Amino acid sequence: MAKKTYDLLFKLLLIGDSGVGKTCVLFRFSDDAFTTTFISTIGIDFKIKTVELRGKKIKLQIWDTAGQERFHTITTSYYRGAMGILLVYDITQEKSFENIVKWLRNIDEHANEDVEKMILGNKCDMEDKRAVSRERGEGIAREHGIRFHETSAKANINIEKAFLELAEAILDKTSGRDPLESVDRGVTIDRRNDRGQNRCC
Amino acid sequence: MASYKARLREFEALIAKDEIDLQKLKYICFNGIPDEAVNRALCWRLMLNYLPPVKKSWSELLTRKRELYKQFIREMIVSPGEVVEGDGERVDVTFADHPLNFNPESNWGTFFKDNEVLLQIDKDVRRLCPDISFFQQPTQYPCEEIVNSGGSKRLHRRVHHTFLKSANVERKGLGITRIALSVRKAPEDYAPLPEGAEAHWEVVERILFLYAKLNPGQGYVQGMNEIIGVIYHVFASDPDPEWRAFAEPDTFFAFTNLMGEIRDFFIKSLDEADTGINKLMNTLSNELRAADYDVYLCLQQQELRPQYYSFRWLTLLLSQEFPLPDLLRIWDSLFADSRRFSFLIYVCTAMIMHLRDRILENDFPSNVKLLQNFPPIDVRILITKASELAMRKKMYS
Repeated sequence: MAKKTYDLLFKLLLIGDSGVGKTCVLFRFSDDAFTTTFISTIGIDFKIKTVELRGKKIKLQIWDTAGQERFHTITTSYYRGAMGILLVYDITQEKSFENIVKWLRNIDEHANEDVEKMILGNKCDMEDKRAVSRERGEGIAREHGIRFHETSAKANINIEKAFLELAEAILDKTSGRDPLESVDRGVTIDRRNDRGQNRCC
Repeated sequence: MASYKARLREFEALIAKDEIDLQKLKYICFNGIPDEAVNRALCWRLMLNYLPPVKKSWSELLTRKRELYKQFIREMIVSPGEVVEGDGERVDVTFADHPLNFNPESNWGTFFKDNEVLLQIDKDVRRLCPDISFFQQPTQYPCEEIVNSGGSKRLHRRVHHTFLKSANVERKGLGITRIALSVRKAPEDYAPLPEGAEAHWEVVERILFLYAKLNPGQGYVQGMNEIIGVIYHVFASDPDPEWRAFAEPDTFFAFTNLMGEIRDFFIKSLDEADTGINKLMNTLSNELRAADYDVYLCLQQQELRPQYYSFRWLTLLLSQEFPLPDLLRIWDSLFADSRRFSFLIYVCTAMIMHLRDRILENDFPSNVKLLQNFPPIDVRILITKASELAMRKKMYS
């Protein structure tokens, strides 16, 4: 077995309606590039990127999922192992924003209770086609106590920032505990740091 | 070379007969349909049971089917729900349909529901085979009624959003008012073509829409676009214009027949059924265990589950894994399989075994990446290996 080249492993998941740009967001982050020539994701896809945070090498294992309803059984099976979930909508598609509530419900049903969440309003470079105002995005995020960014995979706006911020939030939760413990698969983070506390106040 | 020519002659002789021996045709198609001289589109029409073996019946059948398809377009796209008016009599409008009609039978209700399906199809056909330019090119045979309708009958128009132009107004005191109209437009490859023309992706959009309308229990599921794209590409690149002109209706019916066999993979509620995708992924897993236990064990120990890669492989008949020419060769064999689609399992097993050394060496993430992005390979080697596996199975069972 090769020696581990990282200190921590975080598993992240990208979800959201079909066509909102999940694959492009991930591609921008992992390969720092943009292309419109992506075929639709069927089932589940996968990328790895190692980042450094507070002197720790963190390996991000990121799962990219198919958006259409048909694939939900296969994609929801990944929710459980995820430590962070990025919910993506498209600021030019009203419907994809309305569905954020549905995706949140999905997370409640299938993910760990203390999973870190973040909402991304993607395609914010397409100002002339905007259908969802920034305020509405912020509003729903505030309502659910979740972080929020408007992003553009195309113009490279806020993509890296979003991923790093999410990783940092997960790091906050895991710090103080034996880092090696979370290296291996199937991590369940301590319930005592539960978000539930935030929710009731 | 001599054997290649002999193969060509064999094909020609077989196709020339008044009644084509389907068994024999499948037998020789299994080894690949040569790109020259023999028509892949014709062989696929036969193997997918769109054309019957008796040639005499072709012309009547084709005329009937193609006319039927025209009717579908008329009824479901050109003038859906249009009622012929009476002879000048006044019509009672009390119960007339309108966009806010809540009646489930309302034409307007159907229209809005259709558009949801259409929106999904529209997104997907615009990302069809982006590595080739074919689907962005105009078709030689557009649907006249639609492309000359001033845009109103075009399907993508229904889901295309229109926006009110907004402008930034800047005013400093009583000074100059600056109005900045921001018009930024990215060049779009899958842009609709002007009046009188349509691109191949628009044709595929229409076929998928009609399929979804006619199969409401199944509707449109992502991935169908990939499968239909391959068939349409083959039919629409037919060197013979007499066939090429009818690529659209013929694709519709050939695709419908193919879906009849693999439909269950696309239906969520059948995932656990005997004919569903989970069962098929299990079959692959078992086949791998029998053929290469080390690799099977390695993937098992890494908890690399078959659905991470084989869900896509199997539902899409490998259409996202290989470059188009390679895929066509693989599909020749898949369609020629007398027990469709059991040969697919052997091809997938052969694919995994081909990567054996790397898989045994790699860790989990590298292996997922490897299996999800299958490296270039000589497909002939793959087919040979898969045939060996199939033969072996036959011998021991």
